[in-house]
Amino acid sequence: MSAIALVFLSVLSDIMIPIAIGGGIALILGVVIVITAKFFDVPVDEKLESIKALLPGANCGACGFSGCEAYADALAQGEPNAGRCPVGGPDMAEELAELLGLAKPDFIPETAQVFCQGTTENTNKRYEYAGTPTCIAAAGLFTGPNSCAYGCLGFGDCIAVCQFGAIGIVDGIAVIDSSKCTACGMCVKTCPKELIRIIPKHLNAYTVRCRNKWPGIQTHKHCKVGCIGCQRCFKACKYGAITMDGPLAVIDPDQCTHCGECLSVCPTKAIRNGLTGNVPEQIPSEEAG
Amino acid sequence: MKEMLIILFSAILVNNFVLSRFLGICPFLGVSNNLKTAMGMSTAVIAVLVLASGFTWPIYTFLLEPLGFGYLQTIVFILIIAALVQIIETILKKSIPSLYQALGIYLPLITTNCAILGVAILNIDEGYTFLQSLVNALGAGLGFMLALFLFAGVRSRLDKADIPQTLKGLPITLVAASLVSISFFGFKGLIERLFG
Repeated sequence: MSAIALVFLSVLSDIMIPIAIGGGIALILGVVIVITAKFFDVPVDEKLESIKALLPGANCGACGFSGCEAYADALAQGEPNAGRCPVGGPDMAEELAELLGLAKPDFIPETAQVFCQGTTENTNKRYEYAGTPTCIAAAGLFTGPNSCAYGCLGFGDCIAVCQFGAIGIVDGIAVIDSSKCTACGMCVKTCPKELIRIIPKHLNAYTVRCRNKWPGIQTHKHCKVGCIGCQRCFKACKYGAITMDGPLAVIDPDQCTHCGECLSVCPTKAIRNGLTGNVPEQIPSEEAG
Repeated sequence: MKEMLIILFSAILVNNFVLSRFLGICPFLGVSNNLKTAMGMSTAVIAVLVLASGFTWPIYTFLLEPLGFGYLQTIVFILIIAALVQIIETILKKSIPSLYQALGIYLPLITTNCAILGVAILNIDEGYTFLQSLVNALGAGLGFMLALFLFAGVRSRLDKADIPQTLKGLPITLVAASLVSISFFGFKGLIERLFG
């Protein structure tokens, strides 16, 4: 009887000592963690948390900060403009302003716009491209298969980065549905031809839908609707909204009064008005992209 | 000194923890997408590796070993590493917030990185002294960084390549990782010749 008790005791001690060592170390470490946590306590800013909860969390950087967190930080520390986030839209800007006690932001809705009309009808192909089907890869091979070196390649790199399903390929070029676009600017950063710009979301916006810097003759040879730099719109505009960037007319959306003078004089129809005319009837579904 | 150099360089090149010992594969595949995250992760790994070795070695040598409880090392080391990471995180958050931001999510993730535990146990198995353990840990961290950086480069090329549908994503990444690993076998025997 006593022998069994002895064996039992020795087994118990064999188990108990390791448990004591493990438990002891764990206990000591736990105490150390609690002490450091007390000692290095960082108060959590409740205002910051509620700002973060309001922001959409797209982390696109369109506000000019590195992400939603950085913008929330800036707001909490006194950034006066609550209307920097295009993704959240005017409603969210108002809520933010209310929360922070800021002046009501004057929020101008914006949208992305593809500055190219080089559809398969209007341009030609120089060669058959059979490589990786992305714009950035195609652009690396003699600036891409398009006859116009500045034009949209239509492989849809912008579609891949768009988190809002606002872009589709129609007739070989990217087209943005302004009703879905939040102007986050991801496509602007992605396009290897720098064809996408953020413009104010004006339903009657006038834009030169071309980025071609070739001389007019060369442009016209390769694209029926390219800007040939004839300067007619430049001369026709009474408000100084059009400037010439070399052989390319550029309309400043802030100064444009939407009078339509430039549209009527443009010989190639490179100038277009309206965002809605640009919306494809059906954005291709995700399988197609 | 020569011995230290041998330990350091063999931990970086010959016995690279990711590519030869296959420890820490998860972060290796997880954060080698781009150089920025690779940088954050590997800096955090180096810091935690060296600190963890600095704590586990004395506890094993002066506490577990004399008492005859060497077999407890795995569980005790896990405890120490987890607590250590937690403490480092709290201290960083208060005293160096910018570094805390830069390391971000990677610091708590390291708790479960098997490379940390691997180095701590290998230090004991190889019979290293305290200083040698630290050098070994530093080498392991630098090797991890090297592997991560090299592989981030490989992966950025993979992104632009035309890969067959079945191999897209993780499969081709694993194939590429094995090729990089094979290339590291070229270092076998090199270090001993260099310093020996």
